[in-house]
Amino acid sequence: MRNVALTGAVLAALALMPQAASAQEIKPGQAENMVLLPKFLGIAVFDQAHKGAEEAAAELKNPTKLQFLGPTPENSVAGQIEIVTNATTQGVNAIMISNNAGDQIGPAVKAAHDKGITVVSWDSPIPSSEGEDVFVAQVDFKETGKVMADMALKILGDAGGKFAVLSASPDAANQNAWIAAMKDALKDAKYSKLDLVETVYGNDQSELSYNQAVALVDKHPDLKLIMAPTTVGIAAAAKAMQDEKLCDKVKVSGLGLPAEMVAYTMNGCAPAFALWSFVDLGYLSYYTAYALATHAIKPEEGAKFHAGRMGDYTITKDPTRAKGLRILMGPFSVYDKSNVEAAAK
Amino acid sequence: MRLLARLRGWEGLLLVLLVAIVAMNVTRSPYYLGVENIVNLFQLEIEKIIVALTMTLLIINGEIDLSVASIMGLAACVMAWLFRHGAPMPWALLGGLAAGGAAGAFNGFWVAYVGLPSLAVTLAGLIGYRGVARILVEDRSYGGYPAWFDAIGQQPQLGPVTVSIAVFAVLFAIVAVILHDSGFGRIVYVMGNNLQAARYSGVRIKPAKLSLFVASGLNAALAGLLYAARLGSVRGDLAQGFELDIITIVLLGGVSIFGGSGNLVGVGLSILVILNLRNGMGLADITGNTQTSVIGALLILSVLIPNIAQTVRSNWKGRET
Repeated sequence: MRNVALTGAVLAALALMPQAASAQEIKPGQAENMVLLPKFLGIAVFDQAHKGAEEAAAELKNPTKLQFLGPTPENSVAGQIEIVTNATTQGVNAIMISNNAGDQIGPAVKAAHDKGITVVSWDSPIPSSEGEDVFVAQVDFKETGKVMADMALKILGDAGGKFAVLSASPDAANQNAWIAAMKDALKDAKYSKLDLVETVYGNDQSELSYNQAVALVDKHPDLKLIMAPTTVGIAAAAKAMQDEKLCDKVKVSGLGLPAEMVAYTMNGCAPAFALWSFVDLGYLSYYTAYALATHAIKPEEGAKFHAGRMGDYTITKDPTRAKGLRILMGPFSVYDKSNVEAAAK
Repeated sequence: MRLLARLRGWEGLLLVLLVAIVAMNVTRSPYYLGVENIVNLFQLEIEKIIVALTMTLLIINGEIDLSVASIMGLAACVMAWLFRHGAPMPWALLGGLAAGGAAGAFNGFWVAYVGLPSLAVTLAGLIGYRGVARILVEDRSYGGYPAWFDAIGQQPQLGPVTVSIAVFAVLFAIVAVILHDSGFGRIVYVMGNNLQAARYSGVRIKPAKLSLFVASGLNAALAGLLYAARLGSVRGDLAQGFELDIITIVLLGGVSIFGGSGNLVGVGLSILVILNLRNGMGLADITGNTQTSVIGALLILSVLIPNIAQTVRSNWKGRET
């Protein structure tokens, strides 16, 4: 009797001990039908994420071809819902979504999740986290805010001045979190001369973003900087300032792709901008979704796994949302005249 | 006899197209015939096909309503705003419907009583109603509605069928009776064919036109609220751009953009053609621009084929005489 009790106590103690710290290796070669769903097709960064995911798929020897499906920009919400619903009907194993529908995607994703489909969000999460297993975050959202505030300070200098934000859609969870984090960062005394006058939305469409940038300058004649935390917005704003011959007066900064921004950085329209690698983001998202779909790991806090060339990652609570789990990728690269040409190649 | 004659025309062509698309879907995807998929096939576009019903009446009447998608957004945003400000859900829903009816009456007043072209009036509505919607919810999304409201849009309530699909079926029957089996339906056609003739034969044109626009506004509002239920949250761009898809469905159904001709059988077939085509492409993993192009090509053909047929026929006749 005593022995049994003792064994029981030992077992209980073992169970209470923290999980072994080693990262879970993933078994390659399993057939998993996986869908990579960007906000919409035809945007360079999502093609890069696709490239990274294909790289991971090849490494993991998944015999089922990765499906890269996306809506058109003008039909993003309804299109994403349609693709998730059809994928659910087909009974795919995993959906990796960069959510552009805010919580409106919730019901469709929940239906998929209820059917046992692994749902990983990347780039932009599901705000309520409903139906989502884990969010693969490109960078810490707080850090994004700090990096943007620092770039603004560097460009505007100690004299400071007025600046505006040109964002993507009003309901894009990632952009909204970054802007909120930037506003938080701006409270620090060293940014006190920076005056954020307005936030406008270009819906990640080039033409609309371009017009919004021009409208900003008309509305605020003493504007000195447009901060666009979206690759579409920053390129459109830089083009607008260049076309309007305002680059000496109004600078552009934010999150941009080196290949799209190199010309504007070299001619001084956009002296500095930042980004992470979307190839890595696609790669890590694929590893995460594959690990979850093959049950190598569970979608719970503390689960650890080995993601190929990128090393070990751990699932943690997502501090940027009320609920939900995340995997943090990081880090940031800041580009300026000194390094943009090399990165653009 | 009339049915046979009809089937040789445009509806016949749509039917052949539909059979071909369904046959292709059945052979290409094992999931196509599942009950769940058939429900989804309707559910994913249900709000558009609901609005297409009143759009059919308007276009046959020789008018058009470009503001329907904005009214969908307006109704949903009014509902969201009222609910956010403490109104009980049923009142918020009624408020949304009332906003849609008012927007429709506003359109109808300028068209019927002032005599402005509906293209211009409802284009202004498209911009204006969307603007009001965006002001109401600003740049946020409003969710957190009662569970019963979300369930209406998201879960099957009548066997496998959702409330939205049942609403569509009932409305389809009502519009069919009105259009093809009532005095008002004949008036709708006569006005679309020849407004002057209708006026001189004593048809009360103004109230008739006004009532059509009010019906369009109310129906769009209903569809907007059902869409809000399906999405579970509302933002200012809800249903943005839907008007073109809705008009596409009606025109593909053989309704003349100049008014006076077309019928609900054609529109019903057109709905089935577009929905099955979209669903089939979705299941075949064809998305984005490719899907849009295929449907665009279909519409171009739908405009070209009858015209070419007409030309060929008249040339042929010319040779005979």
